[in-house]
Amino acid sequence: MHTHSKVALLAATLLAVGSSFALAADKKVAFVPQIIGIPYFDAMEAGGKEAAAKFGVDFIYQGPVDTNPVDQMQIVQNLIDQGVNAVAVSVLDASSIAPVVEAAKAKHVALFTSDSDAPKSGRALYVAQATDEGLGDAIIDEMVKRVGEDAKIGIVSGEATASNLNAWIGFMQARAKAKYPKLKLLEPQFAGGTAQRAAQIATDLMTANPDLKGLIGVASTTCPGVGQAIETAGKIGKVIGTGYCSPNTARAYLKSGSFGYSVLWDPKELGYLTVWAGKQLIDGKEIPATTTPDGMSHPVTYDAKTGILLLGEPAVFTAQNVDNYKF
Amino acid sequence: MRAFLQRFGEREALLALGCVVSGLVFSILSPYFATPDNLLTIARNSTELLLIGLGMTLLLGIGGIDVSVGSVLGLAAIGIGRLLEAGAPPALAALAGPVAGLALGVVTAFVVIFGRIPAIVATLGLLGVYRAGIFLALGGSWLSGLPTGLTNLLAARVFGLPVSVLVIALAYGAIFIAVRLTPFGAHLLAIGNSEARARLAGIGVRRVQVAAFVISGGLCGLAASFYVATYRNVEMTIGATLALEAVAAVVLGGTAVTGGRISLLGTAFGVILLRLLQNGLLLVGAPSLWQPVLTGLLLLLVLGAEALSRRLPLERLRQSAVGAAWRTGAR
Repeated sequence: MHTHSKVALLAATLLAVGSSFALAADKKVAFVPQIIGIPYFDAMEAGGKEAAAKFGVDFIYQGPVDTNPVDQMQIVQNLIDQGVNAVAVSVLDASSIAPVVEAAKAKHVALFTSDSDAPKSGRALYVAQATDEGLGDAIIDEMVKRVGEDAKIGIVSGEATASNLNAWIGFMQARAKAKYPKLKLLEPQFAGGTAQRAAQIATDLMTANPDLKGLIGVASTTCPGVGQAIETAGKIGKVIGTGYCSPNTARAYLKSGSFGYSVLWDPKELGYLTVWAGKQLIDGKEIPATTTPDGMSHPVTYDAKTGILLLGEPAVFTAQNVDNYKF
Repeated sequence: MRAFLQRFGEREALLALGCVVSGLVFSILSPYFATPDNLLTIARNSTELLLIGLGMTLLLGIGGIDVSVGSVLGLAAIGIGRLLEAGAPPALAALAGPVAGLALGVVTAFVVIFGRIPAIVATLGLLGVYRAGIFLALGGSWLSGLPTGLTNLLAARVFGLPVSVLVIALAYGAIFIAVRLTPFGAHLLAIGNSEARARLAGIGVRRVQVAAFVISGGLCGLAASFYVATYRNVEMTIGATLALEAVAAVVLGGTAVTGGRISLLGTAFGVILLRLLQNGLLLVGAPSLWQPVLTGLLLLLVLGAEALSRRLPLERLRQSAVGAAWRTGAR
């Protein structure tokens, strides 16, 4: 009897200690990128860490070493099994995510997407970097600011089958039509995945159109090609290059003047917003339609119907601000 | 004309004619085609493929192939780029390309020949390994806007000719001499015709095979030096299209995919025709999607015509008196 009560007491103490630990421990928010070890996701990790410190949560950053969707889903499953409270995924394969969404629901883990979505998977929400429309508008608006409305602009894209690139081109054309009727966008040329072919196409476009005022590299691989072609042709200042590319890729061309600007978003901010969103989901708080999370300089918008939390306007990088970014 | 054709080789003449005719069509359709600047652009665009195609000619000649050539160029380009970033003298960076290429050629030769794996399978495997190597070496951030030292070095002129022209002439000249004036050429073709018979004839089959792969690697590395000088950029997908383009140009040039027959001049014309078409089609305003379609059709046309001519009793026709009359009349 005596021993029994001792054991019971011990068990009760252990239980109490255990549960008090559980209460004291921070909530855990995990982010699973498409691949680790590249500057883009490193920047998201840095933003996530910053937000975790600010909002008092633990931040876990784990991802596959190559862009393998099976490995990625395994990592997400492991994180769910470990008992994280929320997990964000930059989805590699939208069709393969359903099982982990189920597993997360069973364990009451908030699973949401960030950077790359799986719209019909049942994820809690999607933290989006920018809209295709926002990106299309920004690159045209910035171009017109520099070359005026009465100008001929060439477009060098990557693979003709890339749906995101085609969407951006579509919105560029729509913007030009609606707002700048005099702006002439040439038919997009497709360079495939290499900078070499992009440089060749950019050179040929300048040859065929001596009055060309601007060149837009739509795929990130086309940016160096466009920048280099403008430098080699000696057309710095005469042709303004631009594209959707990271500051690291555009830096040299922004500094040489072959690029006037580059349009993308800031992955560090995206990582920050991702962890903030995870915290809201854990706390069960409703996200208002427009809000400025603590520590961010601009408001973000949330559409409860589609579950899309939008970071906001794309970022524009120029020779002046490019050194503030490291991705 | 007939004598000229015979001496020149039919395929080479056909390709030269193709270049001239398409050049004429393009210059009629676009006022910007036949300008010195644009012709220079075509020449510059051809540099890497001319060098890689030369190596690929030898490989197809022995009945081999290397589908990893673009990745070899990529790895060598990373080495060159890192050296330039570190402030190494441009001449050293330029030499690092071929040195890295030769080293990778040794690796390829080792895997293919001593691993006894069919070249297409072995080099497909190496392609994966090299691509991963490129990814790891770049760490997700590309080399962009590299210093211009190498660009200036290779833009220099020697005896009034650009360095690239001289290097290409030297490379083709050296291989031509090796193929025509030394036993290397005969051995190469013998292996391409039948490896077993070449071995029975006492030819050092492995030695020739190793040589072909190492030479091809070195040429890819050399191409990398010109690549970095021209584009000053190394991205993750660098050189992804080069292997297929090289095979296309080489086969277009009259080298047999099955080995045993090569044409160096044909390869050069094949490369120039490909690049000329890419450039001209864009200048005349054709959508860029048509360019690979046209290249593919051209390849099918040339190879199809060849296969057809072998099936038709043309040889017998040519040997007959009627045939002789037909032949002279037709040409």
